[in-house]
Amino acid sequence: MQIRLYRNCQVEQEGEVWFALVKFVSARNKDESNQRLCRTNRTNNTMGATASKLPKDQLSEYQELTFLTKQEILLAHKRFNELLEREDRQQIGGSRVPMNKILTLPELKSNPFRRRICQVFSTSDLRDGSLSFEDFLDLLSAFSDSATLEIKSHYAFRIFDFDDDGTLDTGDLEKLVNCLTGEMDNTRLTSEEMKQLINNILEESDIDKDGTVNLSEFQHVISRSPDFVSSFKIVL
Amino acid sequence: KLPNRARMQAIRSLPMSFSERRNIRLFMVIFLTVLNLLCQHFVRHTLPLKCGSWASVRQRLVIWQDTLKEIGGRFGTSVLSYFQFLKWLLMFNIFSLLINFCFITIPQIVRSPNITHPISFRGLELLTGAGYFNQTVLFYGGYNGEVIKTQPSYNMQLAYLFTIAAYLVLCGVSLIYSMARSFQRNFVLVAGPAYGGAWRLLCSWDFSVINEKAIQHNKDNLSIQLKESLSERLQKKAVVSVSAKLQQISLQLLAWLLSLGLAVGSCTGIYFLELNLNDISDSGNLEEEASTLLVPVVVSLINLVIPLIYALVNKMEHYTNPRTNVYVIILRNVLLKMSILGILCYYWLSDCWESFVGQSVYRLVVVDFIFCLLGSFFTEFLPNIIGTKCFRSLGVPEFDVATNVLNLIYAQTLAWIGIYFSPLLPVIQVVKLFIIFYLKKVSLSMNCQPPKRTGRAAQMQTVYIALLFFPSFVGALSMVAYTVWSLKPSEQCGPFQNLGKPFQVVLDWMKGVQNIPGSEWAWWTFEHVLRNELFFYLITLIVLVAFLAVENFLIALSRKSYIVIIIVIVLSPSPRLMFLCKKLEETSLPEENEAAAPKNN
Repeated sequence: MQIRLYRNCQVEQEGEVWFALVKFVSARNKDESNQRLCRTNRTNNTMGATASKLPKDQLSEYQELTFLTKQEILLAHKRFNELLEREDRQQIGGSRVPMNKILTLPELKSNPFRRRICQVFSTSDLRDGSLSFEDFLDLLSAFSDSATLEIKSHYAFRIFDFDDDGTLDTGDLEKLVNCLTGEMDNTRLTSEEMKQLINNILEESDIDKDGTVNLSEFQHVISRSPDFVSSFKIVL
Repeated sequence: KLPNRARMQAIRSLPMSFSERRNIRLFMVIFLTVLNLLCQHFVRHTLPLKCGSWASVRQRLVIWQDTLKEIGGRFGTSVLSYFQFLKWLLMFNIFSLLINFCFITIPQIVRSPNITHPISFRGLELLTGAGYFNQTVLFYGGYNGEVIKTQPSYNMQLAYLFTIAAYLVLCGVSLIYSMARSFQRNFVLVAGPAYGGAWRLLCSWDFSVINEKAIQHNKDNLSIQLKESLSERLQKKAVVSVSAKLQQISLQLLAWLLSLGLAVGSCTGIYFLELNLNDISDSGNLEEEASTLLVPVVVSLINLVIPLIYALVNKMEHYTNPRTNVYVIILRNVLLKMSILGILCYYWLSDCWESFVGQSVYRLVVVDFIFCLLGSFFTEFLPNIIGTKCFRSLGVPEFDVATNVLNLIYAQTLAWIGIYFSPLLPVIQVVKLFIIFYLKKVSLSMNCQPPKRTGRAAQMQTVYIALLFFPSFVGALSMVAYTVWSLKPSEQCGPFQNLGKPFQVVLDWMKGVQNIPGSEWAWWTFEHVLRNELFFYLITLIVLVAFLAVENFLIALSRKSYIVIIIVIVLSPSPRLMFLCKKLEETSLPEENEAAAPKNN
């Protein structure tokens, strides 16, 4: 079945084949991961007080799967624990923190993209922006020092895509500029200037001239600004 | 270990959620286990990664973590890069201090001959480094190069030479490595629109700023910059006439002539000033000692005033590309500082001259520190007072990252030049860097505002490291190398008293090694390989190329891992076989099982 899927994909790049395949497989295994989540819950309950500390094998697994170092993971664990309700603290593996609590973190409190960040990294079925501990680690990993340009540009694209349709169209770009400019009357861009600016942006980056910026065009533009990697950073 | 790391990097770089990455990793482990079974031997799949542990070791050695985070949160990445550069230089100096102290100073203190101190300690020594300090272990003259007769014997001459050589080699390697990494990651030779490209502005939003006022400030600046870029785009339609271009070029030429003229003028001035002053003697005459401070004070004044003149001159010329502007300013400042140092190095040769050089460097370092304090006062504190109380239109000053980094590079060059002549100079450098860190931090929070233009911090970082390597480190290294290889050491003092040149001690030692049976290979290597000049050129080339290539190799290898994983998934078997493979994973990873055992119900 998988081989047929491989042939049916209309993509040229090796990387995209890879993503398509993995997405297919992961969709199949989603219930498996949910089962594992429930198992961790039950085990943590029986483990008692020691569950509030991170077990060693989980720590090494987190180290392998994210760009974070051991200290960063432990610090993230501590801060995430503080956000949880008291009764949830024993089962850190399964609980989700609602978005309004995540936004009380000083690192995200004043960030112009805080809501989009929570929504992008959340894997909750309710699409309410709540984050589990693993989502939180994902977030920190993408924003960490050692994350690659590809990861950062991928997530930046998803964050800027306000309507989640896979491309950056005029509406997304306008919302992006409004997020990043001031709200005072003398600093906000007039509608004339906004139109001109969006035209300039599309002129610079829209290679296939379809009026929107897709992921590869975005990554191409990003690769020409080396400052992106050092400024796309959030550290606890 | 190498392919393993590349595989891990491939998994980390997947832009998907955590649970999906966990599954991918599981598949990869299964595939590897199956492969191992097929090949009939078990390879231990060691977790966690050893290279990950190096990063966590480095993190544990971090000082000033909270302070740096606070600075980054308020002022952004480019200002933070200055403080990180300072911390990096501090590490170099602490390392040098430790090894010099352990290998050179302690043996000398323990076995010190009776050194008479004809001059009592007066306060002026802290500034001039002469007088009481002259015969102490602070300077070259305080070491007497004897062979300490313990079991085994400890040759002070060799120790002195090798410690300093080892430190300089380590510095060089570390600098080359950082330069290669930084170049690879950050330096992009852009052919597109120079500056003010709208995407570049939008994507340079600094996520590490978390202070609310600073964020508001950044938003205002960004909208101003966007408006500026829009109006620039419209203005570009206007054609620049030939006469205007000629005028521009002639102004730029004039500015260059002026700056070079100033640099040459100050060099000649310092040279003649040195010629006219008498050498320091141990006569104990207070006035004479104080007069030796004249040259360092003049040098530091020049270093303070002339860059300001350069900034003024820069205002009159107009470069279309702001990036070129910054590079031109940096180039002029570097030329000035390095030519002054060059002239001073050229001048320093006289009786017990090593100590004299050491003292001169010491004086330069101390006076430079005092002027750094004064400079901070004049360029940050005063403009703040003026900007807020007197002329409100001027506003609060910005933190000038470029000038401050160049000052740090200059100070480090002095430290590297002086290390052969004054082994304990790193003490002063460490104290100086510590105080400058806290001073700049306080000055920053009290006086400065975050930078208006989000400058390309990453690219500038590469330029600064390259400047630290090329004129600064290489220049200091060549001076020390010239001293060791060619100059006759002074007769009355120091560890190399009776030799034609300091390097003689290594030659004699190698001849001694030749006589020991069984180590002819060492002597042969030394004589025919190490003393061959071509060898050094080759080594340099190889080192540079290797570091640049390693990164590319790793990336290429990680791409291959994608194919491996695709094959795994294409061959992805039925759930029953997957269960079997999971069991295999558990048996091949016994150390994980002890913790995982309670999970399996």
